[in-house]
Amino acid sequence: MRGLILAALVLATAPLYADYTPFYLGLLTEVLVFGLFALAYDVLLGGVGVLSLGHSAFLGVAAYTTGILLARYQPALEVAILAGAVGGLLTSLLLGVLVLRKRGVYLAMLTLALSQVFYFVVLMWTPVTGGTDGLGNLPILHLSDPLGWRLSKRPITRYYVIATVIFLAVLAIRHMLGSPLGRAMRAVKANETRAAACGFDTRRIKLAAFAISGFFSGLAGALLTVVLEFVPIENIHWQMSGTVLIMTLFGGTGTLLGPFVGAGVFIWMRDFLSKHLEYWEVFVGGAFVLIVLFLPDGIVGSLTRLLARRRPAPAAAPADQIPEPAGLVGAARLPADVHLLESRGLRKTFGGLAAVNGVDFQVRPGELRSVIGPNGAGKTTFFNLLTGVLPPSDGRILFKGQDITGLPAHVVSRLGIARSYQVTNIFGDLTVYENVRIAAQSRVTHYRFWGRADALAAVNRRAEEILLHLGLSAQRHALARELSHGEQRYLEIGIALATDPDFLLLDEPTAGMSPDETRRTAAFVRKLAGYVTIVVVEHDMEVVMGISDRITVLNYGEILAEGTPAEIRENADVRRVYLRD
Amino acid sequence: MNGCILILVALGLSIVFGLMGIINFAHGVFYMLGAYAGWVTVHLTGSFWLALLTAPLAVGLIGILVERGVLQRTYGTKNANFAGVLVTYGLAIMIPDLVRMTFGRPGKPFAVPAALTGSLFRLGEIDVHAYRVFILGVTAVILPLLWLLLNRTNLGLVIRAGTSDNLMVQLLGINVARTWTITYALGAALAAFAGVITAPLVAVAPEMGGLVLIECFIVTVVGGMGTFLGVVAGGLLIGESLAITGMLYDVLADVVIYLAMALVLLVRPRGLFGQEGMSEE
Repeated sequence: MRGLILAALVLATAPLYADYTPFYLGLLTEVLVFGLFALAYDVLLGGVGVLSLGHSAFLGVAAYTTGILLARYQPALEVAILAGAVGGLLTSLLLGVLVLRKRGVYLAMLTLALSQVFYFVVLMWTPVTGGTDGLGNLPILHLSDPLGWRLSKRPITRYYVIATVIFLAVLAIRHMLGSPLGRAMRAVKANETRAAACGFDTRRIKLAAFAISGFFSGLAGALLTVVLEFVPIENIHWQMSGTVLIMTLFGGTGTLLGPFVGAGVFIWMRDFLSKHLEYWEVFVGGAFVLIVLFLPDGIVGSLTRLLARRRPAPAAAPADQIPEPAGLVGAARLPADVHLLESRGLRKTFGGLAAVNGVDFQVRPGELRSVIGPNGAGKTTFFNLLTGVLPPSDGRILFKGQDITGLPAHVVSRLGIARSYQVTNIFGDLTVYENVRIAAQSRVTHYRFWGRADALAAVNRRAEEILLHLGLSAQRHALARELSHGEQRYLEIGIALATDPDFLLLDEPTAGMSPDETRRTAAFVRKLAGYVTIVVVEHDMEVVMGISDRITVLNYGEILAEGTPAEIRENADVRRVYLRD
Repeated sequence: MNGCILILVALGLSIVFGLMGIINFAHGVFYMLGAYAGWVTVHLTGSFWLALLTAPLAVGLIGILVERGVLQRTYGTKNANFAGVLVTYGLAIMIPDLVRMTFGRPGKPFAVPAALTGSLFRLGEIDVHAYRVFILGVTAVILPLLWLLLNRTNLGLVIRAGTSDNLMVQLLGINVARTWTITYALGAALAAFAGVITAPLVAVAPEMGGLVLIECFIVTVVGGMGTFLGVVAGGLLIGESLAITGMLYDVLADVVIYLAMALVLLVRPRGLFGQEGMSEE
């Protein structure tokens, strides 16, 4: 908040420092517009961790939309600007739908290649766009009644109008980043698999980020047209995407200020260096390489880190008490179905190998079932099939009598199946509290981009409850990756429970735990079983025999035996194959 | 752009992407540097044939320097793949300006070698130029050699294994660092070679890398990233559709290849020959 007031003051007084020189004001305006573009870009890069090289299309389509409207139809200025922003939004949605089938650098390459389509359209559509000459001859710009202001040629007027619009845009972006959708975006960036397992449709969340990014990139493009009274074709060439990437990383991703600082540095380099040095791109490129290698947080990010005091290490929780499930789960969630979960002839093959080979499996409500088997027996693949991470090659899965075969992970999660992973899978870069809060939020809202996520009272209460009962309240502000291994395992169960599941799959919950922690966890899982139905994969035989109602033994992807612990202990096949005696 | 040349450049890009998981933005620069290295060689010795050798060697060396000096610092860091893309992008901005500083802004003329000038024979109405046949011949020799290198040698085995599971290869005790350097240099050398043989067809200019890079992206997207056959098929498809639309209706040439890419993306996102699961991450 203080930062915003300060920013407003700086924006308001900035013209004073340079005695209103038109050149300086023009430069300042340009920095602000590109700063907004870079901030919009960072909604995608810093927001959901998607590297785009296609933002030239968003900026360019908007710049041309505004330009063409002004040149041909002379609408009110705000209409032309809004139309530009909407143009950016639509372009980003189109591109997003196409490229989000892929991930990572491959996605980046697709954005680049697709954005060039727009460049060629502009290039070829010369009668309307002006082709390589750019689009000029824009009429005098004015706002509509009742304001009716003419946006005069005076740079000072123009500066204040643009600065006001950009300040409002930054406020809007800031608001969205703190909204439920903004938090979901952060969760997707921190750990996409986990976010999907919490019920978030990660592809749609990323598409939403594309849309926000596209809209504000479009706004920047429209404003750029207003500032320049001209649309150069460079605005829509892919190198513009590279430019905005450089600006964003110069300043530092993940901050509101960084993109503006980055835009300032870049434009300073461009104007100052190019005046004195013919080959200024050597320095821009070189500086970019150095920043990526040695200053990955950028200028603002690095300064912030330098100034921020190190948090004291969180106090360790007392490890001797067993969490009370009643507080974690609320009321017992045991539906009345005969079988809560059932698989029929479930198969999964990888090439020629059948990792899961015709498994018929039923779990009754309230049961605690263990799945055991030698390494490579197909246990984890089986879990991945049940939770929609992998589509089965054959067979069906029924949950509460409903066919869930082939449904994606986030839908399965929403239906009430939660899981933990063999290798701890949490949102490492988020706070302990946010880890649980975002999971609880997934039951309430995914895409709401207004209102503060922190104001969702029921979600907060749920998160508090879970942390309290897991004994993690003291570490709520610590980053999840700073927790000890045992605490992380508990946190992961907390994340799973925060989604209010009817059915919980735990993949080796005691892996890597000390004997003491193992005992505590086993007792915890046993108690939990009174409230939710649990299937657990476990290697520790003592734990398995101690807590299970029934045990399923997998071997080579097939069920070798099933029964009570006593029956399994006596089963000759199991002894031969599994216990090897 | 000639389909053969496109295949050679795109293969280098694809091999590097497959093994190292980075889009090598410096790839177009290597192509451009190859053309310049060729120009220097011809300028000094007058021999085009020598240039075919010196350009890949010189640029391969630059590739080694880039990989060892810059890229290696990004390995193992958070978002290593992004960082690899970003630093090579930085280099792609820097190096053309360095070339302009050294050789001047205007391009350099590069004559077709005397032995390959003129038309070889006539095919109906069309003159078949000796140099075009030469490019076809060279590609026809290089592609099988490269295929043998990737499929029948130890190095190729390590590259292919690394492409599908880098960590595992490392665990087997294979010197992955060296394989990466070699692969990166190989990619650079391939681009440089393509650069030299293109040089007589176009003006050698600092900007020549930018366009070919994007076309290579399209080739690999259409064909399927990280697959040999895919790149060859994609290169032919894109190269020829460029040539044919170029002949029929010049203005549409670029648009056609982008449309082809969008179509492939919609119908078969992994590319014509891409395998399931490849390059999704």
